[in-house]
Amino acid sequence: MPKALVRLDDVSLGYEAGAVLQHLRFTVEEGEFLALLGPNGAGKTTLLRGLLGLLPVLEGHIEYCFDRAATPPGYVPQRETLDPIFPLSALEVVLMGTYARLPPLRPVGRRERALAAHCLAQAGLEAVAGQPFWALSGGQKQRVLIARALASEPRLLLLDEPTAGVDPGAAAAIMDVLSRLNREQGLTIVLVTHQLRLVRPVVGAVIWVDGGTAIKGPTAEMLAPERIMDVFGALATG
Amino acid sequence: MAALVEILRPGFILRDALVGSVLVGTVCPLVGVYFVLRRMIFLGVALPQLSAAGIAFAFVAYRLIVGPHEHGNVSERSLAIVGAFAFTLGGILVLAAMERRGRETVEARIGVTYAVAAALTILFLAVDPHGDAQMVNLLKGDILATTSASLGVLASVLGAVVVVLFAFRKEFLLVSFDRDLAVVFRKRVGVWDLLLYLAIGITISLGVMTAGPLVTFGFLVVPPLTARLLTRRMLSFSLAAAGIGGLTAFVGFYCAYRFDLPLGPAEVAVASVVLALVTAATMVGRWRTGARLAP
Repeated sequence: MPKALVRLDDVSLGYEAGAVLQHLRFTVEEGEFLALLGPNGAGKTTLLRGLLGLLPVLEGHIEYCFDRAATPPGYVPQRETLDPIFPLSALEVVLMGTYARLPPLRPVGRRERALAAHCLAQAGLEAVAGQPFWALSGGQKQRVLIARALASEPRLLLLDEPTAGVDPGAAAAIMDVLSRLNREQGLTIVLVTHQLRLVRPVVGAVIWVDGGTAIKGPTAEMLAPERIMDVFGALATG
Repeated sequence: MAALVEILRPGFILRDALVGSVLVGTVCPLVGVYFVLRRMIFLGVALPQLSAAGIAFAFVAYRLIVGPHEHGNVSERSLAIVGAFAFTLGGILVLAAMERRGRETVEARIGVTYAVAAALTILFLAVDPHGDAQMVNLLKGDILATTSASLGVLASVLGAVVVVLFAFRKEFLLVSFDRDLAVVFRKRVGVWDLLLYLAIGITISLGVMTAGPLVTFGFLVVPPLTARLLTRRMLSFSLAAAGIGGLTAFVGFYCAYRFDLPLGPAEVAVASVVLALVTAATMVGRWRTGARLAP
């Protein structure tokens, strides 16, 4: 019997102007690899931000079956949200992940440096540790951000469009890192994406976000050709 | 050379002013690093002006509530510090709150703040009949009038600011670089922002009191921009900005003393020349190696 990690009970999420998503009822189970899919503007990022605690829950309840203060979720934002003006090396960015467990006044120590180097190696980027973050390619930046999320030693990893705007080779490398983490370490992963073809072979389940709500189901069922045609065909014909 | 030897002598008559200059030149860039990284550079113009308005307001309020104040004594300086700090911190908190709401553009908010602060400074001075030349000097920052006592206060307070900036640098970096991640990590984002703003407010208030709005703005922005071109790490960026600030303040002081120039403008001019030279050298270097320019 899989163990629940996050449980949403009739949850509404949104902003000041009102709810974007309503009646959300699903469970993220431990060790799952989930894709959040749906048309543009359907509320995928809203749902991800709600799961991260970045948006207030308007109605209902999100139950986290782990101590979020002690083990916060790993978060990989879209890389464009981070300002390249900061003079940070790739390793310094990854070290930020270790701040999750460091109280104020406790400096980054040997353990944190070793952990950050290990996480960079897991993302296949040990060679760029000393390079400026701003000078890396889109795909490398994204993998550095994955390494940063791993450095917080999370039980749940949430990613916002990690393969958007990167070339197909880099996108495949990112998906390879993620599926390895899920398969070998049992890390629970939820990612927002538009790239059905890329995630179909690796994700075990899909949360389909559309029409102001979201439903969860197995990949084969949720990505059945007729369902895809239903949504994207309707959108295409306006 | 003789002038350099003279200003380095322990008994140099303007020793307190020199040390004050170098202190402001060193600490303002440490705070300014966050202005540059948070893309709040123009706030560096508005806040010192707001600080000046606070000084003028403090004197008007004192006169209305207590009575005429005496010029040149310690209580006048304390009054000025309270006014400068209250206005600077108040301004930065209001601007930060408005930024969260994001209804108007940043430039509009900062432009309005600067215009209102400049107008208020003049109006407060006009209202106070005791607003004579000495008070105008205080508003402009009369660094040559620095005394041992005021230098002691300046060194202690700016020293405390430096300790705070270094002790909590990982928290300040996290909330500045990736606020969302800080929230996910359940860090007290509001508290860290407030502490950073407090450090900024104190530094600007003392900077304006000691060296005036022009020097304060110059050293908040110019040394960090220079250091940004030379460094690739956060810590080296902060240290280089402080080092460049302190050094250019010293060279500016020397130039002012040697060539009988106004001190504040001389210091800012030296810092700007260094920025221009480093920018040119960096561009030539990048052009020759074909490397990309840092953003």
